Amino acid sequence: MNWFYFSSPPTFYRLAGWLVPWTFGTAALLAAAGLYVGLVQAPTDAQQGEVYRIIFIHVPAAWMSMFLYFVMACYGAASLTFNTRLAAMMARAIAPTGAMFTFVSLWTGAFWGRPTWGAYWVWDARLTSELVLLFLYFGFIALANAFEEPRRGDRAAALLALIGLVNLPIIYFSVMWWNTLHQGSSVSFKGTSMHISMLTGMLLMTFSFWAYAIGATLVRVRIIIVERERRTHWVRSL
Amino acid sequence: MSHEFYVWMSYGMTAVAIAFEIAWLRVQRARARRHIEEERDLEAQD
Repeated sequence: MNWFYFSSPPTFYRLAGWLVPWTFGTAALLAAAGLYVGLVQAPTDAQQGEVYRIIFIHVPAAWMSMFLYFVMACYGAASLTFNTRLAAMMARAIAPTGAMFTFVSLWTGAFWGRPTWGAYWVWDARLTSELVLLFLYFGFIALANAFEEPRRGDRAAALLALIGLVNLPIIYFSVMWWNTLHQGSSVSFKGTSMHISMLTGMLLMTFSFWAYAIGATLVRVRIIIVERERRTHWVRSL
Repeated sequence: MSHEFYVWMSYGMTAVAIAFEIAWLRVQRARARRHIEEERDLEAQD
């Protein structure tokens, strides 16, 4: 298969249009299953009570906030290295969804922290580095739109995304490097200390958020393609 | 405040954030379609 075939905006526009309903449909189904397992089937936590159920959205949102930033930076690097139009458009399309998940992660973390720690916010290394991630997303979006010539905005924003990559290991390892209030990871590649139904609910919500992020990104990249190429014959004939 | 308040504030805001993003995408898509129409009109005038 020639993958460069799909890097052409007209081809990708059609492929994305075909994929969007499937991704949103998958996201809805997985969310329904995840919410059922998380809110109905999973047992009440012995120490935290019902408030622990926030993790079914907090942890997947936090994972997505970091994962989307990484993917956005990879597209930024690809656009800088190969000067490809579609990679830059993909980076732009990912940023708002990444910012939304970062905001959700911070918000749900605050509403978990209040009954658990006694405070909505503490200047803890994990929380602060996640807040920096939100500002990096805002900075990327602002910088990408700060230039009249879109390609200049693409390059500037891609550079910022690459510089900001350094924040991802800081977020991930902050609970090990510093003495933080935020708890360490309950799930890793080595195993988990969670009840199987809790883990199932969390993973279902993670895959749901993943599918949603792909869907939202594809819708947004189609809009960006059309806006940038609106003077071309293929867009006018849509 | 009961634990339910914190749980529903979290789930509620997540739903609002996703709904806001979808609404924003629809507005942007409508604007992009309008721009295509404008381009078509300009082409027809030429």
